[in-house]
This record gives sequence, structure tokens and C-alpha cells, in this order.
Amino acid sequence: MSDRELNAAAVAAAQAGRRAVLATVVRAKGSTPRAAGSKMLIGADGELVGTIGGGCGEAEVLEAARQVLETGKPRIVQVNLTDDIYSWSPAVCGGVMEVFVEPLGSLRPERSDR
Amino acid sequence: MSGDVDQSHVSAAEAAAHVLAAQERGEASVVVTVVDAPSPEHIGRHLLMGGGSPRGKLGKPVLDERAAELARAALLEARADLHELELEGATWKLYVESQQPVPELLIIGAGHIARPLCRIGALVGFRVTVADDRPEFANREWFPEAERIVLLDYQAPFEKIEIRSDTYVVLVTRGHKYDYDCIHQLLRLDARPAYLGMIGSRRRVRAAFEALLDEGCDPERLAQVHAPIGLDIGAEAPEEIALAIAAEIVAARRGGAGGRLSDEQRVFERVARRREDTSGGAGS
Repeated sequence: MSDRELNAAAVAAAQAGRRAVLATVVRAKGSTPRAAGSKMLIGADGELVGTIGGGCGEAEVLEAARQVLETGKPRIVQVNLTDDIYSWSPAVCGGVMEVFVEPLGSLRPERSDR
Repeated sequence: MSGDVDQSHVSAAEAAAHVLAAQERGEASVVVTVVDAPSPEHIGRHLLMGGGSPRGKLGKPVLDERAAELARAALLEARADLHELELEGATWKLYVESQQPVPELLIIGAGHIARPLCRIGALVGFRVTVADDRPEFANREWFPEAERIVLLDYQAPFEKIEIRSDTYVVLVTRGHKYDYDCIHQLLRLDARPAYLGMIGSRRRVRAAFEALLDEGCDPERLAQVHAPIGLDIGAEAPEEIALAIAAEIVAARRGGAGGRLSDEQRVFERVARRREDTSGGAGS
């Protein structure tokens, strides 16, 4: 999934009037699964596009996404992955990620809100 | 009040559309997002920067100015940084992300290496163009992942295709003669691609270099040609050769050396040596 494909999916969702949340890794310290700039689109229907870690900390972000969908208020989520370091799960990784979770919102061509 | 806020508020969807549109035009773009602020109404605001003046307001003129400065600096190279600003005694966190135009992988020759290379190239983030003079190979069915398929004449291949500084060129035509014609003409263009690789055995490649030098091609430019193409991974099957080529292209793009990380970093060796040292010290 390239950045371009994710942006295209975000625009398509907004055009179709689907509600969704965008999660972006804004800071990654240590051995995190994805670098800053990684994005995931989370649809109100549960559809996921892209990944910000494939298991590592994604559950916390999904929970935050649910809240953001409900409240419409964007927020930053700290995801601490250092506890997992000795786990042998396939999702093993260390480090700390800060993930910004925001409503996708709508596309407003020039006419804007009259 | 809320009317003002809405007018200047750029949504995440609009930011995504802004980035896409800039990429379509082959331009860089920046999105600045307020991810933390002393008051919640500023969080999630975006400022967009592209070719022209910034769009969107973050909620404070001084903040807009600082964001525009950061955005202008970020236009120059791909970035994804979190900045903490102290403004009027409070901390603001601005996330600045810039996108450079998507590089193009230009595969000349629509044969059995081009097919897997087109797939891998698209997968690792290139806009792939496939070019050949045979419509029975250079078509959508064979190259579903290609962004563009060009039918060209090997006598004048670069009349139809523009070479830019972010074009990665792979010459894998059906015959060495066509590879040679292409490289010969490419090396005479003013434009220099980011990467130029040509397939061929050592013997063939050697003959090509000899001929190109005889033709008066610039030795400095010839020295930068990747031929024989690809990293040495022992590739045999077309898919494996495509992987070796793609790996070399990624290394060229990202500045990688192309060796084994385990050889370079020797982590196990260091762990083993440290253990030996400590156990030796304790034992004596």
C-alpha cells in the first residue's frame, strides 16, 4: 500500500460520503513496526486500508478511532510497544509511537459552507 | 464564530486530495497538522502547501506563519516530523509531512522480466511505465499494475517518453540491439535519469560499452550505468531477476549499499565476543 493508494482511498471514501477516521504515525521512537508518516484509514463500517503496525499497538489505535468517530474530536494516542519485546508473537516489536487519530471529514469543493 | 472556523478549516480528506493532486502534477506538497494544542479547537487543523500560497488556517496568525516556514523547508525533501513550538507560554505540536513526486519506473521491453518487475515496482511505490513496439505484449492484460503503457519505435524511443531526474530506467528489450539503440539515444539526451540499468551478460555489456565509447559517449555517464543490471542474489528465474533489479533500484533511490545487513553489522559476532571476554575474565 503506497501513500498514493491510501490518499486515493481516503478521497474515494470522502467522495462517497463514507464516515472514516485517519490514523497517522506522527512520531516513532525505537524499533517500531512502521515509521512516522505511516497511515491507516478506518471506516465507520470497520473497513481498514493501510497499516500502522500490523498488530503492534493497532488495537489501541482502533479503540481511539472508535471514540473519534463518536465524538468527532481528533486526538493523539501514545502507543507503547516496549512491553512486547520478549514476546514471541508475530507482532513482536519495541519502541514508542505517537499516532494522531482524526476524522476524515468531507471534501468541500470551492462552494464551501454557505 | 463557528462560521469563521469552518471557512478556514481544511479536512483530512481535503489534505489527502491536495497531496494527490500535487503528485499528479509532478510537484511536491506539504501538510501541516496541529496534533496538540493548549485548547482543543485547534487540534486537527491543517495547513496545506504546494506550488502556490498556503491554504487553511491553524487558528492563530503567528502559528500560521511558523507553520508556513516549516512547510516551505519541508517542500525540498520528503519529511514526516513532529515539531514542538513554544508560543505565548504554551506548547503546540505540529506534524509536518511532505511528499515528493512519485518516481517513475520506466521499463523498456515488455517481456518476461518486465511483467514481474512491473508488479514489484508498483508495490514498492513507483509509477510504472512499460514501453515496447509490440502491442501483443505491451497491453493492459499483461501489465495490469502499469500506470502507463507506451507503444514506441526503437528508432526514436524518447520522442514519446520524457526522461526526468526522478525516472528510473530499465532496459530489458527482446534483443540486445534494441537495448543498445535505447541506451545510445538516452545517453545523448540532456536529461539524466535517476537510474539507468541495462540487462545483458558480461560479454554483451562489455561490447556495448566499447561501442558506446567509440561513438563518443561521455565516459562519466557510462560509468553510472548499471550493467549488467541488478544485485547479486543468484537470480535465475525471470521473477528472481526482476527482484534483483528492483532491489538495486530501491538501493539507488534510498542510498543503500546493497550488501547483507548481517555481514555489515556482525551483531552475533559481537555478542559472542563479549560473552567470551566476560566469561574469560570471571574464570581466571
